[in-house]
Amino acid sequence: MNPGELTLELTLSTLLSLGRMLAAYMLSLILAIVTGVAMARNKYVESILLPILDVLQSIPILGFFPAVLAVFVTTLGPVAGGELSSIFLITTSLVWNMIFGVYSSIKSLDSSIDHLVAVYKLPLIHRFLYIYLPASKSSIAANSIISWAGGWFFLTSAEVISMGRVEYRLKGLGSFIIKAFEEGSTIAYTTGLIALFMVILVSYLIIWNPFTMKYTGTRTLLGFMKAYDVIDKALSKTWGFIVEKVVAAYNVVARVKIKSTHIIICSILPLLLYQYHTRLALDNSLYSKILEYGVDFLRVAPRTLIRVYLVVVTGLAVSILLAYISHTRLKLGKIMVMSGEVLSSIPAMMWWPILLPLLKGFPQCVMMFVYLQGSLWYVFFNVLIFGLSSLRESIIELSEIYNVKGRLYLSRIFIPSLLPSIIAGGLSASGGAWNASIAAEYIVLGGLTVDMGGVGSLLNKQAQAGDVLGVLSTSFFMSLVVVFINKMIWARILGKIRGYYVVE
Amino acid sequence: MSSSKNHVVEVVGVSKSYISGGREVEVLKDISFEVGREFVSIIGPSGCGKSTLLRIIAGVEKPSGGRVIFNLNRKPIIGFVFQFPTLLPWMTVLDNVILPLIATGMQKSNAIEKARMTLKVVGLGGFEDFYPSELSGGMKQRVNIARALAIEPDVLLMDEPFSNLDPLTAESLRSEVLDIWLSSILPVKSIIMVTHNVEEAVIMSDKVIILSPRPTRVLKIVDVNIPRPRSRKMPEVQEMVDKVYEYVS
Repeated sequence: MNPGELTLELTLSTLLSLGRMLAAYMLSLILAIVTGVAMARNKYVESILLPILDVLQSIPILGFFPAVLAVFVTTLGPVAGGELSSIFLITTSLVWNMIFGVYSSIKSLDSSIDHLVAVYKLPLIHRFLYIYLPASKSSIAANSIISWAGGWFFLTSAEVISMGRVEYRLKGLGSFIIKAFEEGSTIAYTTGLIALFMVILVSYLIIWNPFTMKYTGTRTLLGFMKAYDVIDKALSKTWGFIVEKVVAAYNVVARVKIKSTHIIICSILPLLLYQYHTRLALDNSLYSKILEYGVDFLRVAPRTLIRVYLVVVTGLAVSILLAYISHTRLKLGKIMVMSGEVLSSIPAMMWWPILLPLLKGFPQCVMMFVYLQGSLWYVFFNVLIFGLSSLRESIIELSEIYNVKGRLYLSRIFIPSLLPSIIAGGLSASGGAWNASIAAEYIVLGGLTVDMGGVGSLLNKQAQAGDVLGVLSTSFFMSLVVVFINKMIWARILGKIRGYYVVE
Repeated sequence: MSSSKNHVVEVVGVSKSYISGGREVEVLKDISFEVGREFVSIIGPSGCGKSTLLRIIAGVEKPSGGRVIFNLNRKPIIGFVFQFPTLLPWMTVLDNVILPLIATGMQKSNAIEKARMTLKVVGLGGFEDFYPSELSGGMKQRVNIARALAIEPDVLLMDEPFSNLDPLTAESLRSEVLDIWLSSILPVKSIIMVTHNVEEAVIMSDKVIILSPRPTRVLKIVDVNIPRPRSRKMPEVQEMVDKVYEYVS
């Protein structure tokens, strides 16, 4: 490929990947707002969706392959279907924490606001536009940082969708870099990586970091506020215009009264009816097959379980340390978070070729590194963005007055203050680590295959063999384990801590 | 009983009970009173259900028995001054005040005009573009009052509106509310205020409704026929305060 062709190919690939990421982000944003608000304001929706979302967020990206191939590619063909599949798959790595972010911000709204809404009889559309959306802005901002990184991390998995002999390779930055590596083209590979770094860096510096700083008040991020202000102003103007038009349109049709529950029932009903008509006839042989997959899963699960928790504990320790450094040295902290944002966004599969020299002697190290990549950042961002901004000024002053310093400050003031966000980060990190097992335990690069065993490796091999039932069963068992551990351990600790560690 | 036509609000046999720990707890029991074109205070011990009664009048809470009648030949417009300002932190002062107005379907330009006028009335002209975090406690409560007045309510309900302010701010805000009420610049027909403060009730109201401890009944309705302007130093006011205290204690 000559330099001209290479530049064209690279630019096109970058734009396509960025376009997919933006489309997936917009889709996630809409889903997060609608679902988060509905769950927080309607206890029926909450009781139905909360457990479903818990399971969905723990399904690894490979677990969605059979579904997207069946739904999008078979119905819309490989071109449009492939694109939609990719956007959908990226969405599965972005959307969950955004939904939970919106949900918890609306849920924690002061009850006096409910009173206000009731007294002045604010219609749903007004509540949505003037209360729920602005109230979730800061959590959307902070969660966007985590999601954006999560999206890039699984970019290659979403651009090279393969299931058995079927493979859909979409033009994009992820597939460009993988292809360059496979073909041994050093120039293409290096420029691809540089382009990836640049896109990630720029998107954080002019969009996500200033956005988060503006709406959460956090000071630990690097960003170009002036550049962002231009974007923010344009977006605010457009948004103001949309709100005005929506409210005006609502006032015209306000006489037609439809309750939100009716809308939900109407949208779920056809689905239920469809389910009823196309019920899968599960026979005995299918059950025994699933059981066999269960046994396979149990055989490899302990290995992954140990790795996951090793990684989570490491992630917690590293994040607390980095948060402490950020807290005491703001400038250094800003640089660390920026590096974290770029590192966490590098697609999982990219790490293997980057760390190739290490691979021959220490494949375990590379595996743990990729694992850490898919997990550490959940704790890191939770602690650095949510945790540090919740550290009360008065508590810091108190420790200054009474000269509480060093280890005493760390153990008695700093860590306890951050504990809710440390545990919340740990919860997301354990889910993230299970999902990262797909990228960490098995990789085929050109002629090189690295197989470290474990659930991630099992899933990869099943996908490679085109074993749809295997992929679905293993994903299902894996999400069961994740949900079980989350509910039994993390959620309980979090519940206890939230009660104890509130500074009055 | 006097003609119901003179009454703006009639509270008729209102009761309220709820289930707690498997047992029925009776909060309000057969509460009845009328409110004309006047300023009425409701006073009573803590936890007797004063705020619940106000919420029932506002139509936010349903009574277990009885009803609230508005003699207006149309749906009443209710303004509500919350105990805490309850301002949306992401909105400016002006946006907070216009929110209930545009919720009624009013054009934004009209809503802004009304909100500006009301903000001026409560002494906040020039603070329209400020955010709640930039205001003092007293100013926030003024926005709360402006928001309630901007919708031009028939009935203004106030739930301990001055209880969270420092004494000086509370004093000046009380006289401002009275000035607005007495000057009739706004079409408010009746004001019902819940308070703990006997002196406040006597100085501000035409009538004080004294409630008993739970299960709460109307203990006594006292007419305050003292000429305005009133001050706490006036012997009639002192006498009336003592009289109300007797019932309360």
